[in-house]
Amino acid sequence: MMSMPRGFYWVVMLASCTALGAAAQSKKEFHYTLGPHAAINLVNQFGGVTVVPGPEGHADITALLHSKKIEVDAVQRGSRLELRTHFLQNASPAEGQVDYELHIPADTSLTVRSTSGPISVEGINADMTLEGDTAQITVRQVNGGHIHARTLSGPIRLQDVKHGDVEVVSVSGPVTLTNTDGHMLTINTTDGKITYTGDFGDSGEYVLANHSGDIDVTLPASASVDITATSEKGTVSNDFPFHPVPHSAFSTTQGKSFAGTANAGSSSVRLRSFSGRIHVKKQ
Amino acid sequence: MTCAEFQAVLPYIIDNGGNAEQQEHLRNCEVCSGLVNDLKYIAEQAKLLVPMMEPPKKVWDGIKTSLEQEGLVKDSARGSLLSSSARTRWGPSNWLLPIAAALLVAVGLFYYHNNIAERQAPTEANSAMAGDTANVAGSSATAVQSASMGNEQDRQILSEIASHAPSLSQAYQEDLQRVNAYIADAQGIVARNPDDEDSRQALMEAYQQKAMLYNMAMRHSLP
Repeated sequence: MMSMPRGFYWVVMLASCTALGAAAQSKKEFHYTLGPHAAINLVNQFGGVTVVPGPEGHADITALLHSKKIEVDAVQRGSRLELRTHFLQNASPAEGQVDYELHIPADTSLTVRSTSGPISVEGINADMTLEGDTAQITVRQVNGGHIHARTLSGPIRLQDVKHGDVEVVSVSGPVTLTNTDGHMLTINTTDGKITYTGDFGDSGEYVLANHSGDIDVTLPASASVDITATSEKGTVSNDFPFHPVPHSAFSTTQGKSFAGTANAGSSSVRLRSFSGRIHVKKQ
Repeated sequence: MTCAEFQAVLPYIIDNGGNAEQQEHLRNCEVCSGLVNDLKYIAEQAKLLVPMMEPPKKVWDGIKTSLEQEGLVKDSARGSLLSSSARTRWGPSNWLLPIAAALLVAVGLFYYHNNIAERQAPTEANSAMAGDTANVAGSSATAVQSASMGNEQDRQILSEIASHAPSLSQAYQEDLQRVNAYIADAQGIVARNPDDEDSRQALMEAYQQKAMLYNMAMRHSLP
């Protein structure tokens, strides 16, 4: 009788493991009717959360559970929906992973907490609080609302976020804002790098501050800003043709701080670092 | 008589008021008279705790056993050093008051000594250096005291994380160090520029970082 090649047995083993792994996963679906301006609160320790707009008045939720050691508790109370990953027994991060996908009305406010993430929200025009220790947080195409994003070391990205009030806090995660503006925008990191690309909108108040990370700002010639930048122990450099501010109380020191305006100076921009480098340049 | 000499004998004279020299010092010294007033208040408040802090009988049995083993008292089988009426007077509830008062007086003395050191530190610095440096030294004493309390809280937070989310222990430890460095630098800026709004704002932002870190850590210990 012919003996099978050793490689064949490895292929069979690999295929069996994959099949067993897939068998341990299970998908749960939840469907709810939600009125206008509803609220969803989701707590998930391990796994991703993706939120996109869905049909008006309905919330369709899919949860992919990676083991039998966890379950999803879902409860609706009036216009509030609570989703929580519940550990049935001790589980490793891989076993405790649940990946959520939410299709919800665009005016639904969100609170999402996930230790490892990632958390992704797109097209939701409502208040949201997104929090994760090491989670990557991404917010795209949001109009209006109060946006709070907080991580310890997870990166935070905001893109095409308009006319909102934005608060971003991260200890060491990098924060990247592209084409983002609002009435009030504050970014606070300890040593996470802050990168802003955009025109700072109109009549907004912006504070980008950190302890030791770099702050890079790129703005177009059409930006209308009143800007100050200061770094106590680091350096400040500017390649944008700002106009000097006459009779300003802000003291400027070559290489350490500057102040200037562009166009009408309608948005106030404060860049502040203790020992990081601040660089402003023209797009 | 100096404050140090007075405070060294204070535990022995707090009830009877001390001799003439000690009473004279108390009349003339604001610091020591304030300390005595505070300690008397603490002792009075300790009495109010007695009805609410009656320990179980086994605690007193344990204390009695320890005292017998050390030969300070003899058990009833071998004869008692104390008369029965004395035993009645010195029952369990009567022991609590002096123990509680002694503990509270010790805590009060420790707290007051630390406060005096903090108040004296800027004075000593002023005599040797310029005003700005004196302010930094004074705030440094406060910062050191705050730092020691903060270190204990930091340890508790890291302990919670180690218990409930051990995979995040290292991340929390590193981020806590970063944030503490941020706070220390921000405090230094405010000490040098106490009237500068931006400096105070920077300190608030540093504290906001720590508050967020604590908040996220505590969530892991919630069910």
